Amino acid sequence: MGKSERHWRNGISRRQALAGLATFLAGSPVLRAQQDPFPLAGHRRVPGFSEMTSAYDFEPVFRANVSRAVYDYTARGTDSEFTLRRNREAFDWVDLVGGKQIAPDTVDTSLEMFGERLATPIMLAPTARQRPLHPDGELGMYEAATAAQSAMIVSHASSFPFDRIAEAARGPLWFQFYPRPDRELSRQILHDAQNAGCRAVVVTIDQTASAYERALHNRHLGGEPRTIERPSAEDLGNPYGISSGRLWYEWSYLADIRPMIAVPMLAKGILTGEGALRCVDIGFDGIVVSNHGGRALDYGPSTLEVLAEVVDAVGGRVPVLIDSGFRRGRDVLKALALGADAVCLGRVPRWGLGAYGVPGAQRVLEIVQAELVQAMAALGRPTLAALDRTAVRTEFP
Amino acid sequence: MNSQGGPPLPPSGELINVPEFEAAARAVLPTGVFATLAGGNRAPFERMTFRQKLMVDGTGIDLSTELFGERMFAPTIIGPVSAQNAYHAQGELETARGAAAAKTIMVVSSRSSRSVEAIAAETDAALWFQVYSDEGLAARSAIHRAVGAGVKAVCITVNDPSASDRRAFGPPRVDWDAVNRIADGAGVPVIVKGVLAPEDAERATRHGMQGIVVSDHGAGAPGRVAGAPIDVLPDIAAAAGDRLAVLIDGGFRRGTDILKALALGARAVLLARPIMWGLAAYGAAGVAAVLFLLHNELARSMVAAGRPAVALIDRALVRIHTR
Ligand SMILES: Cc1cc2nc3c(=O)[nH]c(=O)nc-3n(C[C@H](O)[C@H](O)[C@H](O)COP(=O)(O)O)c2cc1C
Repeated sequence: MGKSERHWRNGISRRQALAGLATFLAGSPVLRAQQDPFPLAGHRRVPGFSEMTSAYDFEPVFRANVSRAVYDYTARGTDSEFTLRRNREAFDWVDLVGGKQIAPDTVDTSLEMFGERLATPIMLAPTARQRPLHPDGELGMYEAATAAQSAMIVSHASSFPFDRIAEAARGPLWFQFYPRPDRELSRQILHDAQNAGCRAVVVTIDQTASAYERALHNRHLGGEPRTIERPSAEDLGNPYGISSGRLWYEWSYLADIRPMIAVPMLAKGILTGEGALRCVDIGFDGIVVSNHGGRALDYGPSTLEVLAEVVDAVGGRVPVLIDSGFRRGRDVLKALALGADAVCLGRVPRWGLGAYGVPGAQRVLEIVQAELVQAMAALGRPTLAALDRTAVRTEFP
Repeated sequence: MNSQGGPPLPPSGELINVPEFEAAARAVLPTGVFATLAGGNRAPFERMTFRQKLMVDGTGIDLSTELFGERMFAPTIIGPVSAQNAYHAQGELETARGAAAAKTIMVVSSRSSRSVEAIAAETDAALWFQVYSDEGLAARSAIHRAVGAGVKAVCITVNDPSASDRRAFGPPRVDWDAVNRIADGAGVPVIVKGVLAPEDAERATRHGMQGIVVSDHGAGAPGRVAGAPIDVLPDIAAAAGDRLAVLIDGGFRRGTDILKALALGARAVLLARPIMWGLAAYGAAGVAAVLFLLHNELARSMVAAGRPAVALIDRALVRIHTR
């Protein structure tokens, strides 16, 4: 939140009071990080498609369209949601340094990555289960991404099988993979995805143990109270109630699957220079700086505050991508200036798809892309190559 | 229905974090009684983030740790709270039952509403006994009795002045003569609770103490900039070295809070108000549920941080920010 945004929020207005009341009634005490500084939630009228001017405009429409549980699954973060909030706060710690304004139509946001030309550095992060957002699910999302010329990363936990998604459109399509302890099963999954035409594989290595406790708030919404199922210590193999599915992760596994992936292979969930170096040593072709949108370790840092450390450690050997908390073109620009090669959006396209289906997902991507162009023009940076650390001033705490 | 006969509460197993237990306690307790359990300074925890290690095998996730030669299920201890009959009709007996269910040590206050013998008869949990340094001879005989009832350690609380005294006199110092008079001949490990200065950690060792609790007795005002127990912990742990078990309390509400204290040099964390919230709302089941949630959060954070055993938690895990 910028200063004026904060001022506006702190001021007394009927709109804010209504928004605050709605939030209170919904029983979600910590919505700050998710909320537009200009929340439409306080209005009774659902705004129309043509009224969408920023990514945030889609969020309340999406929220109104889906059930509480579906909304929470998209919105929430781990435990106290410190990291979820910090992801947004971090953009306040980076100021843009003005240059000589140029015409937006002279700005070129294209780049080359892994030998392919991409029209924009704004990509779609892999996010699971998109069908509850809209019946078109990932098929619609891929169509929208292609129409908006953004590359899409399909989640391993997609609602539709990857090969069906791959047939839905023609734009650049990557596959995100969750490690499976069984090497043969891993080989099969990776083979199938590459066979279906994925142009890169993103291996997600964070989120070994986390719970979105806020998502559990979908109780007490009428009907029988629902007791949370807690599996027994014997089932889990530990007396602490943590699900054991991903506890086994170890570095040697990544070396084992490296030969199974012929396309570029990226590691997602890196937050330190050491971690990035280790991945480069194993043979990864790219790094995604991510805290899973505040859904991995609570009280982890924001991705923006550790980006420069990772970029410096990697030293240009492989591309560095980033996600978590990006909502506006200016947010994207800050990461690019700090050395990221591309920025992935997780929740933003989900809001778009959930609000208005395929046209919504396409529109929300185009809005953020246009904001990036505007911001680059305002700073007088015509290309991504011209965008370096002199475009920002950072003051991380 | 809840244990106090007040408004209906959801079953304790439905609550998903410690703040929800606080809300449950607020719902069942008279306002004045709840006020004795309110508060806790969260600000210092908000200035600390983790630097995680990835791909560390967490299948053997283990919270157990050793203190005074005994294996503990987890690095958590139920801290001393006086007169617990204010929160539940069965008072300390119920807390002790919850402690047993959660396999957690309970510290019994010399100002408990039930005798230490009665509490000991109620539980398999290890008990410690706490007295005040200004109780003189009475403290000595109380300790004698408690040791007879089987308590495993004694905790002597020092420096529990009101917040205004603290402002007037700066950081409080320990009256070691008073402590020594009480500790002498206890026959079990003695821990001094209320240390906030590194010099007092050094003196504690010299006076033959086995442990200290870094604590301001929960007095920390929200928003205070520095000087909370977790803020002074690193210096105190450095001064204590390996000779002294450094424990801590004050405002711990999350598994990640506990993880931070362990990284900054504490061997275990004492919990008081969160336990009383569980007690007030659900009796022994609430006490156990609060501990279960904290252990669950701690275990998840340890795995995600790449430190799946207590011995692996190192100083490098925590980054302290200026604001
Ligand atoms: C609802 C939801 C589902 C997600 N599912 C996955 C997933 O299946 N695989 C994965 O690697 N990351 C997943 N993520 C994390 C995203 O890839 C990305 O790291 C994060 O959403 C970026 O933050 P943002 O949502 O603030 O843009 C998910 C995130 C959300 C919000």
